[in-house]
Amino acid sequence: MEEFRFIDLEVHNAFENMAIDEAIMLSMKEGKAPPTLRLYRWNPSAVSIGTFQGMNDEVAVDFCDSKGINYIRRITGGGAVFHDYEGEVTYSIIMPKGHKLAPADILESYKLLCGGIVRALDYLDIKSEFKPINDVNAGGKKVSGNAMTRRHGCMLQHGTVLLDLDVNLMFTILKVPQEKISDKMIADVKERVTSIRDILDRDVSIEELRDAMRQGFSDALDIDLIEGGLSPEERETATRLAKEKYSSQEWNFSR
Amino acid sequence: MELLEVKTVRESNYKVPDGKLLKVKLLITSEKIAEVKVLGDFFLHPEDTILKIEKELIGLSRDETSIAESIDRILKESEATLVGATAADIAKTIMMAWDLD
Repeated sequence: MEEFRFIDLEVHNAFENMAIDEAIMLSMKEGKAPPTLRLYRWNPSAVSIGTFQGMNDEVAVDFCDSKGINYIRRITGGGAVFHDYEGEVTYSIIMPKGHKLAPADILESYKLLCGGIVRALDYLDIKSEFKPINDVNAGGKKVSGNAMTRRHGCMLQHGTVLLDLDVNLMFTILKVPQEKISDKMIADVKERVTSIRDILDRDVSIEELRDAMRQGFSDALDIDLIEGGLSPEERETATRLAKEKYSSQEWNFSR
Repeated sequence: MELLEVKTVRESNYKVPDGKLLKVKLLITSEKIAEVKVLGDFFLHPEDTILKIEKELIGLSRDETSIAESIDRILKESEATLVGATAADIAKTIMMAWDLD
């Protein structure tokens, strides 16, 4: 069975989290890092936007500032995601271009890797399915969003699995014109998005989800997860990227 | 007194059926594209192709077909893959912004 480095659930701020993902890619490009799966949380809670989105279009920046919520631009496309410290687990999976788990076709790639999420949810007794382009749905509602990029000679996919969902808070953080926030709209979102605790109607812990994700990816992708950490070089690159790129206004407000 | 041309950014949103949301911010001067930004939750690999597209569109006139063709050409030249929208969808969103006033 193929081995992947497994960086178990860690907690970082938004800038460190996105910097670590890219630092791993840069190290892998040099042949210095093995294929890697990492699990992480965001503290403080943060909103990440897709690389083509406008920060001020998507995020209520002033509100986030007043609540100490971070906001950050990803290197991946896709939409805005609220990473609630108490309500979700994020993963990233990184491998060299040409790896057998990184097919050239984008949709095929999403389907393959999202298989890890579907299997993880299976462990929690939740039936789910890959929903093109980049979601995993349970009972017709989105429970996981995913995004990928191909650069630095690598393929990276990261995604979120929702453990809990506060629609009202989400609407306050994401920029929706106040007059549009109606009861109907909140009801609409509840029709389209769900969370593990909503589905199972019990207080599933972060650790339980973490275990399910580890097992799910390992089984679905047929990979052996070997516990490891960042190399000193990756750590150094991540620190630099967090400071110079991901926490900069220039990057976050570039669109 | 000098005549000042009033420049207003025109914005449009288009949700591609079974695809992603496109948002266009468009600045027109003398009936040509002076500046355009294509935003949204789509995917484009490699991502920096978006900057080439936005640059290529500057100076184009109000012609949906030639706008779509320009985008398609850049996509091909860059060996880029657009997911969740097409060149025609972007051109359509640009026209929606153009025709706002």
